[in-house]
Parts: sequence; C-alpha cells; structure tokens
Amino acid sequence: MGHQRVFELIAERIEMMFELSQAGKNKSGVSVGSSLIRFRGPRQDRVAGFPVFKTIALGVLVLGVILSTSLTHLNAQEDQPDIGLSAGILLAPKAFRAATKKVLPCLVTIESFGGVGAVQGKIGGIRRQGEGSTTGIIVSKDGYVITSSFNFIQKPRVITLKTSDGSAYLAKPIANDNTRKLTLLKIQNESKTGEAKPLNLNVAKFMSEEEIRVGQWAVTVGIGFGDVNPAISIGIVSAKNRGFGRAIQTDANVSPANYGGPMIDVQGRIIGVCVPLNPKSSSLASGVEWYDSGIGFAIPLYDQSIIEKLKKGKDINKAYLGIQPKPAKLDGSGVKVVTVVKTSPAEKAGLKKDDEIVKLGKYIVQDVNQFGTLVGRFDSDSKTKITYLRGGKPMTSELAFTVPPKVTPTRPNPGSPKLSPAKKEDKGKKAQPKKSNAENENGK
Amino acid sequence: MRHHLKRSIAHWIILVALAATIFVGDDSLADERLNGFLKKAVDIAQPKTVKIFGASVGRVEGYGTGIIVSNDGHIITGNGVYLNGYSTRVTLNNGETYPVKVIRRDSNLQLALLKIDASTPDFFELGETPAAEKGDWVIAVSNAFKVAERAEPLSVTLGILSLETKMTAKRRGTEVIYDGPLYLIDCITSNPGAAGGAVVTADGELVGMIGKLIESKETNTRMNYAVPEKLLARFLAGKPSESTQASTSPKGNSKPADLGITLFSLGGRKSPAFVDRVRRGSAAKKAGIRSDDLIVTLAGQTISNSTDYKSVLATLIPGEKTVIVVKRRNSLERFDIVPDEKK
Repeated sequence: MGHQRVFELIAERIEMMFELSQAGKNKSGVSVGSSLIRFRGPRQDRVAGFPVFKTIALGVLVLGVILSTSLTHLNAQEDQPDIGLSAGILLAPKAFRAATKKVLPCLVTIESFGGVGAVQGKIGGIRRQGEGSTTGIIVSKDGYVITSSFNFIQKPRVITLKTSDGSAYLAKPIANDNTRKLTLLKIQNESKTGEAKPLNLNVAKFMSEEEIRVGQWAVTVGIGFGDVNPAISIGIVSAKNRGFGRAIQTDANVSPANYGGPMIDVQGRIIGVCVPLNPKSSSLASGVEWYDSGIGFAIPLYDQSIIEKLKKGKDINKAYLGIQPKPAKLDGSGVKVVTVVKTSPAEKAGLKKDDEIVKLGKYIVQDVNQFGTLVGRFDSDSKTKITYLRGGKPMTSELAFTVPPKVTPTRPNPGSPKLSPAKKEDKGKKAQPKKSNAENENGK
Repeated sequence: MRHHLKRSIAHWIILVALAATIFVGDDSLADERLNGFLKKAVDIAQPKTVKIFGASVGRVEGYGTGIIVSNDGHIITGNGVYLNGYSTRVTLNNGETYPVKVIRRDSNLQLALLKIDASTPDFFELGETPAAEKGDWVIAVSNAFKVAERAEPLSVTLGILSLETKMTAKRRGTEVIYDGPLYLIDCITSNPGAAGGAVVTADGELVGMIGKLIESKETNTRMNYAVPEKLLARFLAGKPSESTQASTSPKGNSKPADLGITLFSLGGRKSPAFVDRVRRGSAAKKAGIRSDDLIVTLAGQTISNSTDYKSVLATLIPGEKTVIVVKRRNSLERFDIVPDEKK
C-alpha cells in the first residue's frame, strides 16, 4: 500500500470523525468534550456519545501509530539512509557524467612542442613525461589558464591550447608556483598591432574551503589519454590541508592523464587542480610514483590571490627564514635560535642568537620539527609576525620571507661547518638532522 | 451508522496491520539494497569467470583469468606464453578443473580462445551493443595475484568506466600496435593474473575483458582497461580485428601523398616539425606554408615531432583536401591543403 493511499485514508477518517462529532452535537446538544464527561449519562447521550468517544480514541491511537512509524521511517532516512543510499549509489554515474559535462567548457587541451625532453628522453629523474596532450583550467575571461607544472617538465618551446568549442590558441607560461606545482599560462590573443582580441572564455568556479568536506564524492577529469573526451575517475575527498596546508588528498586517480585537470564535486564545482605531489620532496616530478596508489592531490584555489600573484609574472617558492634552530628545553620541546644567517629574513626581523621562538603567525611553536612544518606553510613572498622570548621577555616583529639564496654549483669545503649556503636552502631538511641531534643529546 | 462504524474499525485494524508490515518489511528489504546492491552482478559474473593455470616462464606469471563465452566450454582470455605449456588447465567456479586446448590467438588484440571438454551452462553471451557508458559502475572479476584457489570465488573490485578511446600503447617497454578501441576503467586491474577477467555492469552484463598489462604512450603510465565486448564477439566469430584490417589494406591502392615540405632535421627524429624549405609549386606552397612555420596539426592529428609528421603524411590521399595548422610568430594559422601525388 502506497503512502499516498495511507494518507488519503487518514484524511477520510478525520473527516468522518468530524462528521460524527457534529452529529452527536446536533442530537444531544452537547459538545464532544462534554459527551466524554457525560459518558455514563442518560441513555440518549450514551447512544451517541459512546461511538464518538470510541472513534476519537481509536483515531488518536491509529494516528499515533501511523505518525510514530512514519517518523521513525523519516528519521531512519536521515540517520541511516536506506533505499535513498542504494538508489543514490546506482544513480551516481548520472551525476558523474552531468558534473563532467558542466566543467568541460572551462577546460582546455594543452599540446606542447619541442623542449629538452623531446631530445634527451628521461627528465626529472623519476619518469619521462608521456607524449599525450594535457589539461588546463580557465581562470579568467581574458585568457589565463592554470595547470600543473608537470605538463611542462620538458620546457616546451611552443604551447598550444584548445578550448571546448574547438578554438586553438598559442599560449605562454607566465609564472610557476613551485610550492603547489602549478603553472599559469596566458593565451596570446594580441593581434599584430598589439591589441588584445576579446576572448570571453568560460571561467571555472572553485569551491570555498568550508564547502569541501572529507568523504564527499570527488571526480578527477583529464584529457591526457589522447582523446578529445576527458577520462574520468572517481573517489572521495580523503583529507584536507595536506602538503603544508596546500592540497586536498583524494583516492580518485590522479596521474599524468589528468595533471592540470580539475577535481570536481558531483555538482561540477572545482575542488582543486590535480598535481603530482609528495609532501616529503620538492622535486618537480615527485608524486608521480603514487599515480595508482590511491593517494592523489589537488590544489584548491579558494585563495584566488595565488592567481593574482602569478599574473604578475613572479614565481612562488617555499619560504626561507634563515636561522639554525635547536630545542629550547631538555625534553626537546621549544625552538631556540643557534645562528642567524646574514641578510636573511630572520636577521631583518631582528632575531638574534638564543632567542626562543614561541609563535609564527597564528601558529604556536612546539618543537623544531613542527617549526619546520610551520615555515613550510608560508610562501616565499608572504609576510607574518614572529613572536620570541629574549631574556624571558616576549617580543614580536614583522617577518617577510624570501626565496632561499642561490646555491653555488661548486661544492664548498667538504669540512666546512653547517652554515654553508647549500645547507640553508631547505628549511624542512635542515630541521630534520637537528632533531636527531637533539635526540642524541637527550640520550646522553 | 453503527454498521458503517464497525466496518471502518475493521478497516483500521487492517490498515494498522498493513502499515506495520510495510515498515517492518522495509527494513529487511532496505538492508539487502543497502549492503548488497552489487550482489546480483557478482552472483551473475562469478560462475561465468574461470581461473587459468599454466607454466610460468621467467618473470611472466603462470596464471590468469578467463571468461566463458559458450555453453560447450569456450573461454576467452589474454594471450600469453603461459598458455604454451602442456599442463595448462582451467578451474571453474565449482572447483572442477579441466585441461585446456588453445584454439586461436589474436596477436593484435592479445586474445586467446580456449576450449575445455565440459558443458558450461553459465556463460556470457557476447553482443555488439555496449552495456555501459562513461561514468557507469563496473565490477572487475579476476584472479589477480592468484589470491583465489580452486573453488574459491574470484576477487571482485568496483570502479567506473572512465573513457572509451583509441590509443597507442607499449608493452614491457616496447611499442605495440594496439590502436583498437578500448574501455579505460577507473578500477585497478593492471596486476598479474587479472588479464582475462570479466568487467561487468551493476546488473551483471558484460562490458569487456580485462586486457593484458600495457603502458599508455600518451601518459607513460600503466593502464587499467577492458577489451570491449564487441571486439571479443568478433574474435569469437573468427573475424579479424579492426586494426588488423587497417594494417593489411592501407587506404586502398592510392599512391603516397606529398606536400613538398622539408623539415629541419636537428636533434634526431623527435625534434619539432619546423618547416625548413617549401618546394616551389608544391601543395604546401599553394596552401601558403612558409619556411620556419611549426606544423602543429595535420589532418586533425597533433604533430609533436617529425616522426608524427611522416606517419600522418603516409595516411594522406593525393587530391583529397585536408587541413594543416602551423604556428607562425605569435599565432596559429590554418590552411586548406591538397596533397600532390608523390613522384
């Protein structure tokens, strides 16, 4: 019996009850309420009153039963969706297709020609880039496209883009975000006279941080298999704030087939840009080795300022601070400055030997290892506040990170102390051996 | 009136009883749908899929999976050296094991047709209509890593159909001619022993057969894919596969085409297709191609390097108009071009 019929019957019953009570009222001249009270009254009342009471009682009982069962049923649907879930799972493919279709107008097919890889073969030490086309996402009406730097590992001489309507353009790389493995491209739409032809492209919409939930469906889309249609792969959002807070992790396939392509939700909104990523390594091709491991990453762009920075043509790199830290306390906690590198951001912020760093931006500093991760969260051009204790007195100063100083290709004295510039390039790496030293000290 | 009321009370009791059964019944029904929405597909596919054991040769695994395609013991699987030995045998879903005879092989699609002397009432009827489209759930049934032994059921994994495409591929580092259409699946099947397994829809209909381990030339990654059902049907019927046909009869009897373009030959065969010289009076000259243009596409195909140019040029037919796109300074130029006959 359908629910509709049940409700029709309930409505019918209620109507009948109303009719009966009206009938009783007319006959005995009393209201339903008084007929209940006068249940054991005169015979005349009893005739009309008894059925009325019984109907109401029964009606209430039945209504109660129906309501409670319906309610538990409704609750069940909310807490533990039964039929809804399985139907949803079986209908999910429709959603995947619809979402993919929705995002297509914002995608471009990227082809590259020439470059070092084309001649030398193996690039990046890990894996040679394939020969197929790659994917990019349009981020502005006037022709800016974001994609994965992996797609240009061979440093191609010529890059062409094709939009979903089939128009082809030349493009040139504007800047790289080396922390997120992104490259911003610009369509070259200037005519011979130097005027920009209007493009009016479809701009992708990125989801906000709050909208992205761990466990939600994720669909990765990429043109890399050499077909005009993108291949799709599905999974869920596995984690947020991975890779120094820069990436969303997924178990959907993220591979050379879709680097630079979008990871979308079932509504076709963009969660992030698929990139190869291995938080433990900064090499350009690192992360490719995880392409079928169930671990993949996409870079969210809820912070559109990244795009704005790249538009100016400046690369974004890992932040460089310029101190050598050691644990402040015997149990290995806290961070104390051992040395400050000359002309480094740390020196410019006024940091001195033996200062104890307690806060970096909004983050509280716990130990050397965690401090390295905190610094890793910042980009080379970001500014923040650093709070430290000098002689027990808290002090705060402005800190402007920079890029690490250029590493001289020739090795300095093999026996030179730790202060050699080569050792200064990577904050995270430096913090690592320091920690083991601390452990050794504690062991003594 | 009272009679009416009595009847209505009776109605109500029935109604309440019914309502109760609806909601009670719902629970068990819901459980089946919730936890077993793919059970039907698995129940259908398992008895139609078999384990194959043969001789291991060097590092090549000596086992695989196969699908039953007739009621009299025909089985299709991926072609491989492990089928060459004398002791190749097939284990059915019920644990019964039979010796195998290899009937036919297709080196192009890497398929093998086997036969056992047993009646196999559960089999996949091969058709030409695709059972699934992009995004649909697919279930892969295989004996990857030889996890299942004898009567143990095969391993079942869930994924979606990623893309139906054509592609060039590599096997064990060397390029192979595999330009037949195939289904990419978003389901890890590129593992030892999985080849020959069944890929079915959520309703248990056959989508294709898990293909042998190959690497995509486009991405340099291992691919998870299925050989589409219609290709299996053609193989079973003894028809040559599409790409074999293509290679045996290239574009009829037409003579090779010529555009009159000489490319820069710097950095070997993988160098970009920059135009060095355009012969006077040639097709390219008439079309408007100039020296220093970079050929980007020809006849709709991307020209990444001079090798691509040569292979696409070989497919052109003299006198048949096509399109060439070149990069000239900061723009892409598109020209119609009518190839000449090569002299």
